Amino acid sequence: MTTEARPGLPGELMMWVLIMSELAVFSAGLVAFLAVRLTDPAGFAEAQTHLHRTGAAANTLVLVTSGWLAALATRAAEAGRPGRVRALLVPAILLGGVFLVLKYSEYADLFAQGIGTETHAFYTFSFLLTGFHAAHVLAGMVLLAVVGWTAAPRAVETGAAFWHMVDLVWVLLFPVVYLL
Amino acid sequence: MMSSVTRAWLWLIGLSLASTGLAASGFAGPAFVLAVLGLAGAKAHLILTRYLGLSAAPAWARGFDLVLALLLALFAVLALAA
Repeated sequence: MTTEARPGLPGELMMWVLIMSELAVFSAGLVAFLAVRLTDPAGFAEAQTHLHRTGAAANTLVLVTSGWLAALATRAAEAGRPGRVRALLVPAILLGGVFLVLKYSEYADLFAQGIGTETHAFYTFSFLLTGFHAAHVLAGMVLLAVVGWTAAPRAVETGAAFWHMVDLVWVLLFPVVYLL
Repeated sequence: MMSSVTRAWLWLIGLSLASTGLAASGFAGPAFVLAVLGLAGAKAHLILTRYLGLSAAPAWARGFDLVLALLLALFAVLALAA
């Protein structure tokens, strides 16, 4: 069944419902993170020093660039250029892979230091939030591959919208978990 | 001519580098918190309006901006209270 777009709201209505739902879930998680931080600001600050801040900053550049390629692919699909859609989505997906490699590197380093979800409340939240986000990156890569295969305008627009949601969540998550 | 999506991407790169630069400079305190969250809000606005196309739906864009502003204000209050 195809959901028609609501007047004024671009793309699939159900994708926007998903975007709003995901934003609400991650926002609640980030608010909880900051609220719990009030109980132990020094502990949170110390724990934050073990994260890969530079890698996370690089991942912001990786995701916004991947999002740019996906946005260009949407326009190429609308212009009826399936070859260009695929030429844009392949590097967009590969950049998603770069994001996951950098994230894996951070997790591996934390685990090597004996740090896990139970080590401190900071890590409970940071692993939960960034891990859940990374799962969305992986799902987005699969989705982009599927819509790139069809190259149908509506499908590409929907897949790219999911990818932009992943991007949007990261630009809110990154400063809260890594910088503040 | 450069598309609005490409201009948005360049802005996003610049804003992301500004966030990283602020953090790397060792700058801290309330001004740092507000600056970093302000930059995050600007990036989120660009993604919503240019990547997700809400610039074509100004009423929806204003609604998202309002919710985003309230959320970032809550982040700031909690961060500054710590």
